[in-house]
Amino acid sequence: MDTVFIDGLSYGIPLLCIAIGGIYSERSGIINLALEGLLGMGAFTGSLFVAFFGGFFVQHSSVPMYFAFLFAMIGGALFAMLHGLLCVKLKANQVISGVVINILAIAFTGFFTRQLNSQVFGQPSDRINLGVSVRFDIPFLSDIPIIGAAFQRVYPFQLVIIAVVVLSWYLLYKTRFGMRLRACGDNPHAVDGAGISVAKTRFVAVMISGALAGLGGMSYAYSIAASFSPGIYMGTGYLAIAALIFGNWRIMPTVAACMLFGFARSGGQRLSHLLELPASYSDLIFTLPYVVTLLVLIFFSKSNKAPRALGEIYDKGKR
Amino acid sequence: MENIIEVKNITKAFPGIIANNDISLEIRRGEIYALLGENGAGKSTLMNILFGLYKPDRGDIILRGERVIISSPAHAASMSIGMVHQHFRLVEDFSIAENIVLGIEPKHRFLGILPYVGMTSVNRKIAQLSRDLGLDVDPEMKVSDAGVSIRQRVEILKMLYRNAEILIFDEPTAMLAPQEIAYLLKILKNLKEQGKTIILITHKLSEVKEIADRCGILNRGRLIGVYDVASTSASDMAAYMVGRELDDELPPPPQDFGDVVLDVSNMSVAQRGLKCVDDVSFSVRAGEVFAIAGVDGNGQKELADALAGLIDVSGGSIMLSGQDMTRASVRQRIEAGLSYVPEDRHGIGLILDFPLRHNLALRRYYVSPFCVNGVFKESVFDDFSTGLIENFDIRCGQGGHTVTRSMSGGNQQKAIVAREIELASKLMIFVQPTRGLDIGATRAIHKHIMRQREAGHAIFLISMELDEIRVLADTIGVIYDGRINRIAPARELSTEEIGEYMMGVKV
Repeated sequence: MDTVFIDGLSYGIPLLCIAIGGIYSERSGIINLALEGLLGMGAFTGSLFVAFFGGFFVQHSSVPMYFAFLFAMIGGALFAMLHGLLCVKLKANQVISGVVINILAIAFTGFFTRQLNSQVFGQPSDRINLGVSVRFDIPFLSDIPIIGAAFQRVYPFQLVIIAVVVLSWYLLYKTRFGMRLRACGDNPHAVDGAGISVAKTRFVAVMISGALAGLGGMSYAYSIAASFSPGIYMGTGYLAIAALIFGNWRIMPTVAACMLFGFARSGGQRLSHLLELPASYSDLIFTLPYVVTLLVLIFFSKSNKAPRALGEIYDKGKR
Repeated sequence: MENIIEVKNITKAFPGIIANNDISLEIRRGEIYALLGENGAGKSTLMNILFGLYKPDRGDIILRGERVIISSPAHAASMSIGMVHQHFRLVEDFSIAENIVLGIEPKHRFLGILPYVGMTSVNRKIAQLSRDLGLDVDPEMKVSDAGVSIRQRVEILKMLYRNAEILIFDEPTAMLAPQEIAYLLKILKNLKEQGKTIILITHKLSEVKEIADRCGILNRGRLIGVYDVASTSASDMAAYMVGRELDDELPPPPQDFGDVVLDVSNMSVAQRGLKCVDDVSFSVRAGEVFAIAGVDGNGQKELADALAGLIDVSGGSIMLSGQDMTRASVRQRIEAGLSYVPEDRHGIGLILDFPLRHNLALRRYYVSPFCVNGVFKESVFDDFSTGLIENFDIRCGQGGHTVTRSMSGGNQQKAIVAREIELASKLMIFVQPTRGLDIGATRAIHKHIMRQREAGHAIFLISMELDEIRVLADTIGVIYDGRINRIAPARELSTEEIGEYMMGVKV
């Protein structure tokens, strides 16, 4: 039972980080299907840092990992600028831009990982090994029966992400920037009329979206994947989109959705273990979060309220 | 009195049209100045120049004695010019107060560090402002829950919160019910008493007569003249506005009605679980214009769509000349004798990117002679569209080959009306047939409707304009909250009584 909790959270919390990133972009009115590519580009950038500079640090030091997270956010944000450029500045179709960025990210990171390994490190491989982050128990809380499991064997990035979620709630609902961002997604004409640049606000929102996706992607690279490889593209970005839609583009319901998906996955793994299914069935088990997504969307999509101006290209002249 | 704002020799051209041609106006501090003119006369262009949305090609703006260049709406706001557009610019997901402060949110600091937007003091300030002016607005209400009239007052508060002194209103009464109009006019008078200068764009003479001090009349981009409202008669103003003398429109002459063509009994329509048409019954006879009066959003759209077969009814029946049409498809209804001029002419009335000749044949393209053995006869389309364009005076640059999107709203509407009348259906449904059209186009469409009435067709009209209903209707049904609460011959109903039923004062 404990492992269901622990694994569910270690999968669900980075998923939440990516979904929150998606909320920034979509609440500002820009559809972000590029989350999958952004998380990969972020994780790739962070891994590059470790590949080149990891050797300068003491062995088993956690410091390069924290740098990797920092660079993952920078890499995600920079790559998201491409989505911002296409969607905000050049007024391209946002769905197409997102899909193209995903394809581009897979090709780009795969190619350079292989080139880097063979040309620089002399070992042909499609992965950059990172190892798994340290884990720790939170004192006192982890001793509580049953729910204490949620506080056992915690990755440091989980705490960082929880802080990011709290900060995001504050930023989106309590500050000027958040108010204007949400207004852009509802009625950009009102924002423009108030003398605020819709393009700037949306651009920043898309960049934040990339940074958070990068943070989420790096978390997987340092936990489930223990490396950067094309295996990082396992559809988590799309699942994050499903989670934020199911969460009605609001933070708290999205938290619930991500936890549901996380526990669906870890619960499924546990189930296959209990039923003593052969390992080849694990692929089937990994589809569980997606099956849950489908079911959930069937039942909840009626009450969905997307941001009113989502996907709408804002043109000043058009009234 | 001093001039607060002057425009001097303003000229603004758009491709193919000179919207403002050498216009000079002087507006005095503290007056209500009406800008009258038909659609396309250039009123909105001129005001958009004052509001910084357009840059004039030539001419100057002089604000409080100084020459200024207004570069953007935000710039205009900083010079205390405010504007309420016809289409409100509000964030529906926000509260009224949040909408008002958007862009100038008060910044507080939590524990001296964390910045946040504090709404408590704003809510209090707006409640106060609203009370002072008799606006009756709850700052904490969500805009998505607010009706048109409240939304308009939010736009007014938005300007006042930014200390605007020159308030521009672009057709503020277009979407309001009579009682709401009266309320708005009272608010405008209050604002004037507080020393604000008001510029009112309108084409409704009654409003100008009631509140304006002076009025400037525009026609085809030129200023015809500036008149003192108190000493100019309404019919003179109307004549200046259209540039010709108008014969007064009269209510329809009595006429004998024929058999019942449309018989609706106990019809209900539910959309998204809400009953928007609730148990309505009425009948329309041949040669009769049956009009539904009501404030927008009381079920008119659903009622018309259900009759046309676009949405399903949840109860009751629709009989067309004795045939049960309750569950019939749109095409079955058309072929049984139904024409429909919908309210949403861009959404369902026309395919905007198609040429006019295809739009005119939308009801017939699939039958002979338009289509023989599954192949279009292009020459038939050409002849057919040329005929309708002539008969209905549809102005279009390249005849039947004009892309419909490029035509003016009035001519697009004429095209729909032409297409539907040409069917010579027993029942013709018109929803808001003249919305957004100028006097000339409105008259033309009214004439077409009256001609169909004389020819013995049954006409079902839905309109938000009481004036229109008064000149066309034989029988009036008043709808409120999905129910038709009163049906009576037009001459037995006073406008005041209709207003009371429209607003749900009487049920």
